[in-house]
Amino acid sequence: MSHSHSSHKPVFLLRPAEWALVAAIAIAIALTALVDANHSYWFQPLDSLRDIARNTALLGIFALGATVVIIAGGIDLSAGSMIALSGTVCATTMLALAPAQMMGFKPVGAVAVAAGCLASLLVGFLVGTLHAWLITAVRLPPFIATLATLVGLRSFARALCESTTAAFTPTKSALINISDPFFKTVRDNVWIPVAVFGVLAIVTWLLLTRTVLGRHIHALGGNEQAARLAGIRTANVKWFAYCFGAMTAALAGLFYMANESVAAPVNQGRGHELNAIAAAVVGGCSLAGGVGTVPGTVLGTIFLRVVIDAVSKIIKTGADVYEGLIVGIVVVIAVTLAQVGQFAKGGRGLLPGALGLCAIPTLAVLCGAIVSMTAGGRIGIAAGVGAAIFLSLLRTWESRRSA
Amino acid sequence: MSVSIGTKAADHADAPAVVMRGITKRFPGVVALADVTLEVRRGELHAICGENGAGKSTLMKILSGVYQPDEGTLEIGGVPARFTGTRDAEKAGIAIIHQELALVEDLSVAANVFLGREKRTALGLLDDRSMHDECGRLLESLECPVSPATRTGGLRVGDQQLVEIAKALSLDASIVVMDEPTSALTESESARLERTIKRLLAAGTTILYISHKMDEVFRLADRITVLRDGRHVRTVNRVDTSPRQITSWMVGRELADHEFRQARTRGPTLLEVRGLTLPWPDHPRGYRLSNVSFDLHAGEILGVAGLMGAGRTELLETIFGAGEPTWTGEIRLDGKPVRFHHPREACDARIAMVTEDRKRLGLFPDLDVAGNVSLCSLSEALRGGFLSRRREEDLVAGPIRDTGVKTPGPHAAITGLSGGNQQKCIIGRWLLTKPAILLLDDPTRGIDVGAKAELYALIDRLCREGLGVILTSSELPELLTLADRIIVLAEGRLTAEFARAEATEQKIIEAATGG
Ligand SMILES: Nc1ncnc2c1ncn2[C@@H]1O[C@H](COP(=O)(O)OP(=O)(O)OP(=O)(O)O)[C@@H](O)[C@H]1O
Ligand SMILES: [Mg+2]
Repeated sequence: MSHSHSSHKPVFLLRPAEWALVAAIAIAIALTALVDANHSYWFQPLDSLRDIARNTALLGIFALGATVVIIAGGIDLSAGSMIALSGTVCATTMLALAPAQMMGFKPVGAVAVAAGCLASLLVGFLVGTLHAWLITAVRLPPFIATLATLVGLRSFARALCESTTAAFTPTKSALINISDPFFKTVRDNVWIPVAVFGVLAIVTWLLLTRTVLGRHIHALGGNEQAARLAGIRTANVKWFAYCFGAMTAALAGLFYMANESVAAPVNQGRGHELNAIAAAVVGGCSLAGGVGTVPGTVLGTIFLRVVIDAVSKIIKTGADVYEGLIVGIVVVIAVTLAQVGQFAKGGRGLLPGALGLCAIPTLAVLCGAIVSMTAGGRIGIAAGVGAAIFLSLLRTWESRRSA
Repeated sequence: MSVSIGTKAADHADAPAVVMRGITKRFPGVVALADVTLEVRRGELHAICGENGAGKSTLMKILSGVYQPDEGTLEIGGVPARFTGTRDAEKAGIAIIHQELALVEDLSVAANVFLGREKRTALGLLDDRSMHDECGRLLESLECPVSPATRTGGLRVGDQQLVEIAKALSLDASIVVMDEPTSALTESESARLERTIKRLLAAGTTILYISHKMDEVFRLADRITVLRDGRHVRTVNRVDTSPRQITSWMVGRELADHEFRQARTRGPTLLEVRGLTLPWPDHPRGYRLSNVSFDLHAGEILGVAGLMGAGRTELLETIFGAGEPTWTGEIRLDGKPVRFHHPREACDARIAMVTEDRKRLGLFPDLDVAGNVSLCSLSEALRGGFLSRRREEDLVAGPIRDTGVKTPGPHAAITGLSGGNQQKCIIGRWLLTKPAILLLDDPTRGIDVGAKAELYALIDRLCREGLGVILTSSELPELLTLADRIIVLAEGRLTAEFARAEATEQKIIEAATGG
């Protein structure tokens, strides 16, 4: 009874909650178009579109991986580090195969590029295998296994980068610049990541809805013990899910490397795993497993990126400071809205008891602080007071209703 | 939350304990209850009967504050009440034992019994000792051998049911609702519960009792209410009616008696079990199963009787490759020794197993009805390598019809089905795999009388087609109706084997307890 079943039936391909996301995306775009002082959606529609499309595609690629892992009842916290490792593996492979060209900023040749990319995907497979082994054979909880690789892989990537640069170049370095034309092409043509994302989304959607493996993934996430007793090789299904998660992160890592023209194990992809999980959750995945859809995750990713873009358009300078804040707020609001039916029906209140009372000033201060940092002190105080009044009225109404 | 407890006793001493008037409850696509009126007298045991999906549990969930009715009113002891949650109902003196067990697996038995009402010491710390002691007393009164310190998740479903019962009793409620409390209990545990019920009644407690076991209902009830399709059919005194009449009110027609006296022909040996021993480390007994040997033939139903903890489930799990792999002895399938390490291997050898604990070990809450039924036969729903919705619907239509699942459609949410109908889906799932050997661990748990008869007929038919069945059941009459032979386990050892002709309840109980 954790979710209402009527909202699970698709209406014209998408479920009601997914249509709501479509509407939310449209509203966010419309608001930005109106509020943005530079009117960049009006004057540079293509540039804006390109920006959002690239960011969405890059995040979306490994959000699809996160979706599969989450539906299978797991979690992969290591995606951001996998991104860094993937770029580093590709760059170090190319450096080892063609050190002179790499250092001279010349083309390294198709063989080295292909070897680099394949090595990255292979490492993705190995990391996924490691996760599955830690989880099924050593029996670590997924959260702990991937927390270990979250910290471990990034430092491994840095060590790999430093020892390879020490061996093949005059100086040890934690950065490898990429100047091969192949990666320049990938960087300059947004349609490439978008197409890869599109194809991957369709493949994942087919996998989850139309294959036996996909059904087993849902079953595993819904009830692991019952899945085993139904004759499903749960360890193999997990193996697949974690490999899919790590390999999509590896693929995304190649794009990030191309995009930034550098493999930078220290910072590349840092924190991105949480964005991927957020996109999946906004799109309707349940962290308890068994629930989630590809269209949901795609829309969740678009929504997240559109909102982040909107804030950067509206705030202009230093908007990246707020990215985490926005992701956090969006996740909370999206998941709350998904259960708005329950609140409306009256079974539950948003601000019950003593906790609800303390939540009012907390939320009001938070709201006031955010607004005053972005729009100035006076407006901030007004917003805080406004929020406090609104929430108090809501609480009064709720307690009236339940009495 | 307009419940006042203080005044009710004085003002409404002779008011009925519960009056539910004009209750209507709708769920998406179904009207679970339509204008149901129920009056329960003080101190009586009021049984509620009805087919699977009739609305019994829904009515009791409204009484205990889990659901709010769409229409209708509630009076407790003559005082109008509106519950917004289970806490309100508890305050009004109503405790419920739910049909679906809802225990926190990682907490101890004592912690579960006092969950949300933990006892504190003078310093405000948890008073584990007194909770432990009181829980021990409650379990003792139920004659349940489980220690209050045991982790709940490690218990079998029957023991968990006893813990649920202890939890409800610990509330000291004046009205206790029992929704199929004995569905996972064997005769002797049920007998203990019956003694507890008699004690409660003697102390003036009012009890609402749901069960599909007619003999129980007729032993215990003062009055019986029958529901059909969400409607109140009638309420009668037990002494004025008969099980036959109640059943016909439940299903809305006369029910033909199924008789399987016509002997099945016994085919070749399918399965031989020799000296099966399953160790139980860290337990004084040392083994879960000890030196168990028997044969199963094609076209035969082998009944396995025994008390809770006798090793019935362990026996089936070991054969199915789902239990501990530490067993010794020999299992031969069609004459060849086998040792399954994973249920998959057993499935490939055409063995199927319907597990005892449907919520934990059988049901996939996020898959729809069709997905739950087709799960083990998905290869037959493929078209061009991909799952076809059409084929899946065609595939599951058969078992849904054969087992008589009552569902709004193949794509309804499985969690919206009543308990008995969920169970039928799981049986259907395994029948669909066309097994040669079917292991049934208490398969009719929570299934109504009519559907049970249909299921018996279905199993009988499959057996005549050469299926071999091993059946455990918490109900001896079920074993005596269905089984060709009955083996009895007591504390992990095989203590007796009866042919159908010589088996009686008395002999089986003696073998199960005496050892
Ligand atoms: N949460 C729910 N969502 C949707 N439908 C529900 C829900 N709970 C019950 N129903 C429907 O309401 C009807 C009555 O169900 P209920 O569980 O009360 O039956 P029951 O008489 O207890 O049956 P059983 O003997 O199988 O336990 C059924 O048709 C069931 O499908
Ligand atoms: Mg029920």
